[in-house]
Amino acid sequence: MSTNTNEITTEEMDAISDTPQANVATERFLTFNSDGLTIGISTNYVTEIITNHAITMLPLVPDYVKGIINLRGQIIPIIDIRLRMGKEAIEYSSHSCIIVLNIDSIHIGIIVDMVQQVVDIDQTMISSMPIEDRQELINGMITLDPQTVLLFLDCERLVHAY
Amino acid sequence: MDNMLEVYLYETNTLLEQLDELLIEAEKNEDFTTNDVNEIFRIMHTIKGSSAMMEYSTLMEIAHHIEDLFFYIRENGLDSLSSDHKSDLFNLMFQSTDALRAEVEKLENNEPLSSNIDHIITDINTFLQKISNSDNPKEVQGAAESSAPSIQALNAEISNYPKTDAPFLIKLQYEQGCGMENLRAFMTVTALQDIDLAFEFYPSDVETNPETSESIVENGFFLAFSSQQDVDRAIHLLQEQPSIEAYEVIQNTPAKEEVDTPSQAPKGESEHKETSDTHPSAPAASSNKSSATHAKQSLISVNLSKLDSLMAIVGEIVITESMVTSSPEIQNLKLDSFLKSTRQLRKLTDDLQDIAMSLRMVPLSGTFQKMNRIVRDMKKKLGKDVRLTIEGENTEVDKTIVDSIADPIMHIVRNSMDHGIEPTSEERIAAGKDPQAEIILSAMHTGSEVIISVSDDGRGMDTEKILAKAEMNGILTKPASEYSKKEILSLLMVPGFSTNESVTEFSGRGVGMDVVKKNVESVGGIITITSELGQGSCTTLKIPLTMAIVDGMEISVGKSMFTIPIANIRQSFKASNSDVVLDANGNEIIKCMDEFYPIVRVHNLYNIDTDVTEIEDGILIWVEASDKSYCLFVDELLGEQQVVVKPLPSFLSYFNIKDSGISGCTILGDGNISIILDILNLYTASQNRY
Repeated sequence: MSTNTNEITTEEMDAISDTPQANVATERFLTFNSDGLTIGISTNYVTEIITNHAITMLPLVPDYVKGIINLRGQIIPIIDIRLRMGKEAIEYSSHSCIIVLNIDSIHIGIIVDMVQQVVDIDQTMISSMPIEDRQELINGMITLDPQTVLLFLDCERLVHAY
Repeated sequence: MDNMLEVYLYETNTLLEQLDELLIEAEKNEDFTTNDVNEIFRIMHTIKGSSAMMEYSTLMEIAHHIEDLFFYIRENGLDSLSSDHKSDLFNLMFQSTDALRAEVEKLENNEPLSSNIDHIITDINTFLQKISNSDNPKEVQGAAESSAPSIQALNAEISNYPKTDAPFLIKLQYEQGCGMENLRAFMTVTALQDIDLAFEFYPSDVETNPETSESIVENGFFLAFSSQQDVDRAIHLLQEQPSIEAYEVIQNTPAKEEVDTPSQAPKGESEHKETSDTHPSAPAASSNKSSATHAKQSLISVNLSKLDSLMAIVGEIVITESMVTSSPEIQNLKLDSFLKSTRQLRKLTDDLQDIAMSLRMVPLSGTFQKMNRIVRDMKKKLGKDVRLTIEGENTEVDKTIVDSIADPIMHIVRNSMDHGIEPTSEERIAAGKDPQAEIILSAMHTGSEVIISVSDDGRGMDTEKILAKAEMNGILTKPASEYSKKEILSLLMVPGFSTNESVTEFSGRGVGMDVVKKNVESVGGIITITSELGQGSCTTLKIPLTMAIVDGMEISVGKSMFTIPIANIRQSFKASNSDVVLDANGNEIIKCMDEFYPIVRVHNLYNIDTDVTEIEDGILIWVEASDKSYCLFVDELLGEQQVVVKPLPSFLSYFNIKDSGISGCTILGDGNISIILDILNLYTASQNRY
């Protein structure tokens, strides 16, 4: 392979998460940063995180579809979550990486600015988005500590709504 | 359960196909052989059995009545049927197999089975009555009389246990309202016989006498065993049988004095069975078995998805092999034994690939045989005398391709029957032809393609009429006088064209040859029509053997790599700027072989940054697909390679990626992805763009 791939598997992410006990109502979320926002995805969807992967561009698709990658023989489409949410594009840095998701057997990779950590979230604490501030891909939010608000990515919408 | 359903569908479909072939063959000879009758009986028996097991009562009922019919025919001999009856029987059989097939189709589509099948059952019953009445009324009446009292006798008798010496009796109660109790009882009997148990059962004619179900409902079904051991084994099995509500073991004290009571008298044959103990059931079981093994072949059925994943892995191995052998780290080393081993490895992987490919290959005979049926039906309806000649039906093609060309072939055959062949044989005689028309369906291999052609010796196509019709429908793109014959015939496949003014039952329903063309092109095939007025016409399909592996030419545009299927490439050449001329719309065109072709710049179309924008710096590839022919402008050719086609992720279908001229992608030896271009759609995409 011409690309060197650094991979963190979900198991390793579980190991580094700070609260290991599993409560019934809690779910584990991987948080990442995109354009200053902290966004979480349920780890049930996350397959792996890869960096520095060569992306083959596809012609005549919306700009947020960056192309496809060859992940050990599997072809996976890649979308840039910034562009998908209508934000400005930035140069990819050493922090940016691809989170490979498996949503209802649809494999898809999303490019994010930076992966943060895995946190356990009490699902009953998640509040829905305020009506007047609906965003297409966000289906909930939670205040973690006074400074940070965690938004939740609507994965089904990510792969189905077109 | 899903698995059982799959097996059931597979079995039933195979049986129905067998039945169809058999019927067509028999109809050709205008007679049934004793073998045919036995075979139909066996097929219906199996369908009935498995449908009852899966609780598809509709299918079971139909199969059951056909079985009854053939039981009668078998018993009375074929000679009892007059030729009128035989032709009625053929129609009836075709009708009922269609009904069965329709029901099976509903199962496949997860639709509820139709509950109203009375008309078919009535048809079968009326026919049975007709043949039995007209031929030997006496015997049938006798049979009816004898069966009626015997049931009454049975009822009377069973209410206080059947007469038997066996010390143990098991009384079975089937679930209330489960229907067809006699068949369920018979299935239980077969299951018990399968584990080699010796026993008797009452009523003993459950298999053939539907009226026994009443007595089973009222009194239960009795099994008689001679030892406690057998009873235990039987109970063990009975617990696993479906639809059995309850069973009861009864110790039977011999009641010999009752054996002589008159109620026993009409039972004639069955009494023999009882007295001669286990012997009658044993041969019955063995004969059942022998007829079942008869159909077994040295074939296994495998889920297609397993084959697909096998293909995918084999593809990976082929790629990995070339990755290993062409690894840059060993390029400049002299490794004799390594090279020898890699050559061996390449040979083995090539073999592996060939075998894996051949697994997916199936003969076209199944598809072709179906045409027999269509020709037969249309022959009857249209009153035309036509024979279908099939050539090369053993030609093998990839399974997915077979599935997708079945409909197009059917449509073409229908068109030939409906429009191609002259309406009357008088017309044919007047034209100096054989009064019996002929449709030839043939298939043959040529290298990497299969050529399937449907030709008829009918009227042929009138190019002037076609042209006039096309003009009327407004689908001409240039003055009518400029059309060549080939172009006129290809007008037939333009959407919005249909030559027959009247819509018939078989063709001309608005979906015409354009749909056929689309279907054929979707599997990478090409369709052409040739025709001589008065001589007949011929439709030819050129289909690639497989879509999984393609010989491709790697090209580069900027930093992107693309693969063009070699089959589409006619020529590649360098051209100078002065060779390029502009047409009225300012599009670039170039002359090759005395014809002008448009140039499609890939970097423009796909918005790829490249330094190569002058015609002189890059290279032109003259490509052709179906009726489109044009030149692609690319940066450079990288070389020829056999590639394994991978479909694009389903997620991307939201973006209509297929319409932008991309048919899939492939992984190259170095792990990079190359996009496979679809030459036909690429042109359409470029037209839509400008």
